[in-house]
Amino acid sequence: MAAPDRDETLRATLVRGLSRRRTSLGVTVGPSAIWIVLLLVAPLAFMTAVSFASIDSVTFDIVWEPTVNNYYNLVAGGTSEYSLGPLVYKATAFEKAVLLSYAIATVATVLCLVFAFPLAYVLARLDDRMFKIVIYLVLLPFFTMYLVRAYSWRLMFGQSGVLNQVLGAVGVGPVGAFEFGILAIIVGLTHAYFPYMLITLYASLDGLDFSLIEAARDLGASRVDIVKDHIIPLTLPGIVGGCLFVFVPSVGAFITPQILGQGKVQMIGILIEQRAIGEATNAATASAASMAVVVSIVVAMFLVFRYVNLDELGGV
Amino acid sequence: MSHCDEATNDIEVSTNSKRSGTDGVSRRAYLASAGAATMFASAGCAGGGGGAPTINVITWNDFAQDPVVESVEENVDATVEITSSTSSTEMFQQMNQSGDFDVAVPNNNLVPRFLNADLIEPVNTDAVDNYGSIYQKFRDFVGQQFTQDGNAYGVPIRWGWYGYAYDTREVPDHEPSYNIMFEDDYVDTDLDGQVIMYDEAAKTMPVAALYLAASEGGSSYKEALTENDRMTFTEDQIQNMRDLLIDQKPSLEGYISSDTTFIQQFQQGNFLVGHSGRNEIVRLQENQDADWVEFVVPREGAMAWYETAVVSQASDNPEMAWEVVNEYISPATGAELARQGKSPSCNPNVADELDETEAELYGRIDPERIEQFIPFKDIDSDVQEPYNAAWEEVKA
Amino acid sequence: MATERGGSTEPAEQTSQEYTDRLFSHQRIESLLGNGLYAFAALMLVFLWLPLLIIVFLSFAQSPNLLPFEGFTLGNYQGITGEPGLRSSVVASFSIATLSAIIATVLGVLSSFALTRYQFPLREVYRTFGIIPMIVPGVILGVGLRFYFLTVGIDPSFFATVLTHSLYGLPFVLLIVSARLYTFDESLEEAARDLGADPLTTFRDITFPVIAPAIGAGFLFAWVRSFEDYIRALFVSGVTTDPLTQWMFGKITKASAENLNVLNVVSTLIVLAIAIALAVAMNYGNVTGYVAGTGDEEE
Repeated sequence: MAAPDRDETLRATLVRGLSRRRTSLGVTVGPSAIWIVLLLVAPLAFMTAVSFASIDSVTFDIVWEPTVNNYYNLVAGGTSEYSLGPLVYKATAFEKAVLLSYAIATVATVLCLVFAFPLAYVLARLDDRMFKIVIYLVLLPFFTMYLVRAYSWRLMFGQSGVLNQVLGAVGVGPVGAFEFGILAIIVGLTHAYFPYMLITLYASLDGLDFSLIEAARDLGASRVDIVKDHIIPLTLPGIVGGCLFVFVPSVGAFITPQILGQGKVQMIGILIEQRAIGEATNAATASAASMAVVVSIVVAMFLVFRYVNLDELGGV
Repeated sequence: MSHCDEATNDIEVSTNSKRSGTDGVSRRAYLASAGAATMFASAGCAGGGGGAPTINVITWNDFAQDPVVESVEENVDATVEITSSTSSTEMFQQMNQSGDFDVAVPNNNLVPRFLNADLIEPVNTDAVDNYGSIYQKFRDFVGQQFTQDGNAYGVPIRWGWYGYAYDTREVPDHEPSYNIMFEDDYVDTDLDGQVIMYDEAAKTMPVAALYLAASEGGSSYKEALTENDRMTFTEDQIQNMRDLLIDQKPSLEGYISSDTTFIQQFQQGNFLVGHSGRNEIVRLQENQDADWVEFVVPREGAMAWYETAVVSQASDNPEMAWEVVNEYISPATGAELARQGKSPSCNPNVADELDETEAELYGRIDPERIEQFIPFKDIDSDVQEPYNAAWEEVKA
Repeated sequence: MATERGGSTEPAEQTSQEYTDRLFSHQRIESLLGNGLYAFAALMLVFLWLPLLIIVFLSFAQSPNLLPFEGFTLGNYQGITGEPGLRSSVVASFSIATLSAIIATVLGVLSSFALTRYQFPLREVYRTFGIIPMIVPGVILGVGLRFYFLTVGIDPSFFATVLTHSLYGLPFVLLIVSARLYTFDESLEEAARDLGADPLTTFRDITFPVIAPAIGAGFLFAWVRSFEDYIRALFVSGVTTDPLTQWMFGKITKASAENLNVLNVVSTLIVLAIAIALAVAMNYGNVTGYVAGTGDEEE
């Protein structure tokens, strides 16, 4: 009955506004939608546009004349020969970088999976006190700056790195494999993304009913059978998720190959960085390479998800 | 891509329900951390100054060292604000994008780019009265590379040259030649995996060209390096250089571009032969008493750089900016700069300010030696694409 | 009889003997496997820790090389106070991380409400794009934003870095907070409203206390990701802003004895700071739960 207008305060306006569905939707969706459009959609669209433009060789300015040359040059005019039987293919620097990145990322992912699974399994079976200690030891490297972890491997590798120094001290001469290069990068990436794999696997193993496994063992099933028939199918979503979290960032890695490659291993990240701000700065070729990589990742993910049931992924 | 978030979301839900902690308290922890962080944030906004006009310079880290800045400010009535950069291209882009910088000191090969992009002022010869003292050779280079309508557009500051260094304990005396990098039987030491090349096309491609120039019928490579204000290789030549470097790659220890990394790894014995600038080696010899390292200029010739100061058209105070530039080649400040970078000044008179050992390493250089050097140049824009692609292939 | 008995029992005995043998060896294999599992797990912890421990060890060593060992010193730690640029880099990184995490948290919490409470057109698209910033490789996000910023007139700078990191942090807040909201019992809110509380009061008294830990976790994640990001900042921070990661990367790629000493000290201090922060956080909340939901790339 009291005159509502007299009580009209900012707060009341706010309350009334928020009670209307349309307003509340606008308030909640609006800001992030603007952010996403301005800082994600627009830049990606712009990059796509630039990838079809060319660059003034003097000023580095963008020249808006449509061309597909930037893409054409990604795949044409290669020199590195690959032969598959009678087929000889000459790969360009870009193709080589893509192949190399995918190969390195695959190895790192497999290593992460093989290394992390037993630890995740142990973690899921520990009692609370031990669990806290071990998870602390796992999470600490996880939260430690990525750069610090990559740097730690720079100290380990190299002709006079810690590994070779220790080997030298016990009389085994410097081992070539412990110099900077592909192996160092694989180890660095495995170390960097290992905790992601571990935690994702742990999350799915933690939901596992271990009494089922006990029962299976009482019935005489061997460990291998149990792992094969029970643990792996039940944790498949975790495995796929973990692999994704290791694989995708490994493909686009920059710091690790830069620090551990001694200039000899050109992964995609380095190639794009060089084109974007390096000696031969060219926004158009950098954009084309970036877009091609984005497309390749989307295709790879699409293929992965074709073979893994999505509902299963979500069904932990 | 939406698939992923579904996966992560659900994993998260499951763990949340499994091991939920005490929820109420972490809010406090979060507020505390946010508060502390805000304090840091506000601390970041301090700063500022006033007084004499400020000249903003984007250049190499050597120029930012206290003795250099102090020496300039003592002699010029200006405050000098240095922004360190590690590449000439970056300096170009900074000046191209913003009017924040009065002066840049890129390497000589980038100056034509500044000039063509209409970014820089002609040299104010009244303000730069030390210009007449620099080696004649560098004034010739300026005339060849960035003079328009009789106006020079840059002032050479310091210079140096590239050759290679080797570990005399392992590598025997030999006639200096790029052969050592490309031919495994040139010296009687196993150099497999013991050679470092410079991690930059501009430094390493000319090495390949000079090596090829020395082979039979290769004189055109040298002409491409020397005849014009740009490197005018043909596509065939670029491909040959590329193939040479690709063949060389398996026997390399790696590519390094940072001076300090080069020094550190050379000292640790990571490699025996390293393609490098002379100043790195001087630094190594001077600071670390390394008497086992020898720097040589290959008989095929050597590439030389000279950094060149340019003044922005957008500068509010071009006169003062040129005075700062002039100071960089004055005997006093020039000597500080030479010490910082272990590189000789383009003004020979700077040597008078250095002590004897310093002068021997980076003081007055015999003009006849300077004659032998080939200045670094940009690649001709007609073959820029194949040239860039070639280097990418080498690194792939 | 005897033979008969023998005949009839011997095989049985044999079988049981065999069975025991097999069982015994089976058990041995099982226990070996079990022990092996734990040994392998321990080995993996060593793998995670060894390189970091070597950094910590070297930070107290005279020389940045492990061998020959030249004794311990605290000199490296005293040295870093005079390290040019370090202080301003730390300040820059803290400021960027804090500002961008605040933005990411506000946007992320709001959008979490939208995603969990409302149906609207393009909801799935909106959600996907809300996650993409954390999936797209850092080098590509950095390059894309750099070109875009330069074209719309935002120079690479402190501001550009805050914008970039606020976008990068958004998915972490979004994932954590919306997961919490999904499990939130909305009938609580309804009850409050039935009792006459307006939406703001309901939010303040009912909803916020429940989701606050998730918001805090989201903020911390966004903060940490910004703080440790190198590659995005490389493209958008410009020459005048030098976040800690850029500063450290410069030291790493310009390796010298002095630089390595400084790096070992700074790295050790970072590990120490994280160790303390993590211990505190784990004492208070369910860190593991939040981590598991957002494990993703950071380079």
